Amino acid sequence: MISCTEFIPAYSELFKFLDQKGGPKAVRDFWNYLSDRFLGNLRSAVAEHGLRGCWIYWNHTLNEEAADFTMELDEEAGLFRIDMHHCPSMGRLLALEHIEPYPDYCLHCDVLYRRVLEPLGFECEVDLSRCREAKCRLTVTRRASGPP
Amino acid sequence: MAKEVIRRAARDNRYLHKDFHGALSVGLEYIEHHFGEEAVREYLRQFARAFYAPLAADLKRRGLVALEEHFAQVYEEEGGDVRITLSEEELRIEVKACPAVAHMRQRGYPVARLFRETTKTVNQTICEGTPYTAELLDYDDQTGRSIQRFRRRAP
Repeated sequence: MISCTEFIPAYSELFKFLDQKGGPKAVRDFWNYLSDRFLGNLRSAVAEHGLRGCWIYWNHTLNEEAADFTMELDEEAGLFRIDMHHCPSMGRLLALEHIEPYPDYCLHCDVLYRRVLEPLGFECEVDLSRCREAKCRLTVTRRASGPP
Repeated sequence: MAKEVIRRAARDNRYLHKDFHGALSVGLEYIEHHFGEEAVREYLRQFARAFYAPLAADLKRRGLVALEEHFAQVYEEEGGDVRITLSEEELRIEVKACPAVAHMRQRGYPVARLFRETTKTVNQTICEGTPYTAELLDYDDQTGRSIQRFRRRAP
């Protein structure tokens, strides 16, 4: 059995495998598929609770992932934000001496979450400029015009 | 409502996010659908050769006790109901219910048709180039109940 604590390198190697098979498009196609097939809990939480659904979803996952983060929710301002001080996924990959992370590993977060949140009427912005330091920022804002 | 803020450090929590089993299962399902059944095994071999290289080296150096320690830790972390027996001839792992499959079933995640390969192919790959072989003697797709055996290769 592959332990869930070993999933992150398995995930990174999966991206490499797909890239070998069909290039970056194959990887992105998989991320879209994963978003549709696997993120139903985020989708339903946001559909039901709005921005607070983000808070509910990530409060569960980030604690189970033992992330080092600050998360804020300002419903009046229509803002949800995660400042990831040390990403448990990229942090693990960078700590492994015998595994090189998939070059665009961190991009999966942007693709997966954007695909869920934008159709529900939110803007999603992921700052990955420091992802090689296992740091990033996710900002979700309520779109004034609502869902497209 | 006022702004709400949470600040957490890694040390505040234990790292155990079992939903990852579901994401891996979706990955296997995707590979099978787009690239075929053998590609699932190909991916798992590629992953296992890369990630478990230190474990395979340890297996060569210390023998089956290296695998015993590894799997004891894995199943302890995951809370698996498992019996691990090490003798001079073999290491036998009897899993009454796989914690990964149990979690996916409980949460309603799809369990990939080839999920058993995460045990069979991965174990066989860890043993590549070592004096040992891995066999999956029994596996129940519904629960992940399994019997795994590692033993010295026949001369």
